[in-house]
Amino acid sequence: MEVTLLIEAMDTSFGLLEDARKKAVELLDSAVKLTSETRGVEENKIQAILKGAQETKLEFLNVIATFLILFGFWVLLSGKYDFFHLTLGVICSLLVAFLNHDLLFANARVGDAKVIFQRFIAYIPWLLYQIVSSNIHVALVALSKNKPIDPRIIRFKTKLESDISWVTMANSITLTPGTITMDIKDGEFFVHALDKKVADDLNAGEMEDRVAHVFMEADHIYVQDVLDVAPIFGELRKGL
Amino acid sequence: MIQISDDIIIKTLARVLVPFIQLYALYVIMHGHHSPGGGFQGGVILGASLVLLVITHGLKGTQKRISEKSVAIFSSLGVLIYAGIGVLCLVLLGNFLDYSKLAILLSVPLAQARSLGILGVEIGVGLAVMAVMFSIFYNIATGGKQSEEDNN
Repeated sequence: MEVTLLIEAMDTSFGLLEDARKKAVELLDSAVKLTSETRGVEENKIQAILKGAQETKLEFLNVIATFLILFGFWVLLSGKYDFFHLTLGVICSLLVAFLNHDLLFANARVGDAKVIFQRFIAYIPWLLYQIVSSNIHVALVALSKNKPIDPRIIRFKTKLESDISWVTMANSITLTPGTITMDIKDGEFFVHALDKKVADDLNAGEMEDRVAHVFMEADHIYVQDVLDVAPIFGELRKGL
Repeated sequence: MIQISDDIIIKTLARVLVPFIQLYALYVIMHGHHSPGGGFQGGVILGASLVLLVITHGLKGTQKRISEKSVAIFSSLGVLIYAGIGVLCLVLLGNFLDYSKLAILLSVPLAQARSLGILGVEIGVGLAVMAVMFSIFYNIATGGKQSEEDNN
């Protein structure tokens, strides 16, 4: 009798211990879960703050860049370099820059603005040469007796990526006599060409390559880049 | 109803050109007392830049920049600046818009006071014209109805 009582008491005590252990494990589990949850929340918060700081920094840089460009434009326009007018210029440029900081550099890709500017300046003489040469061609076509005009609409998928390079490409095509950009739909250009020669010139893709080079979207090596690499190869050969 | 242009060329060129158009408008306003131009012309150019934004980027996108409420405030603020300068001259025992009386307040020579007074009036006129231009366009575009929700 006493033995059975003892066994029962032991059983209940074991049961109690088990329950206590379970409860303790549950508590620990929930505590761990809670801390991980709070940690996640805190991490999200920190990430949001960092992201916000980055965005503010980007916004600030945009405002500064827009302000500098606009102030240069103001000095060009104004032509009065006394203190009063320059102060007005600073105020006006700052105002416009604050209102429009997201316009000028919207969809900006990663790229060196200075290099893009230099390359764009270098691109203009080539474009002028193209305009003159195709101008002569179109004039010859118009003045020749049998008028070999053979109008056609060509379409091609472009490899250019940003909207600003699309627009540069489209306007370059339109500026060149004999070809007119009609539309851009989903990266596909629709171009009206006067005859086979100008269409072939465009299809050769030199203009596209050059625009891609200007906006640092070129995915192939250029002659000048090869020239930069050449001395290194020379050294390597010497070593061999 | 304004349909947003889906032409990438027009959209991109508009977003690049709008800051320059607005700065040119401010240049026309600020140099109105030296060279051709002035408050009205500059205000019209400023309003036109906003209209260009509405055509290319939609009403909603433009309203984030300049809300209808602030347009109403600007249009009355412009008139207030204009009339305020005029009445200030009256208070200083001159005629309405007699800028030379402002010389005492600004503590500058008479000629410069006239120049500054005209500049202030030009700014007021420019603000009012810009705001009224935009609100006329806005009201025509929405047909006088408040349909900001179904415009995007």
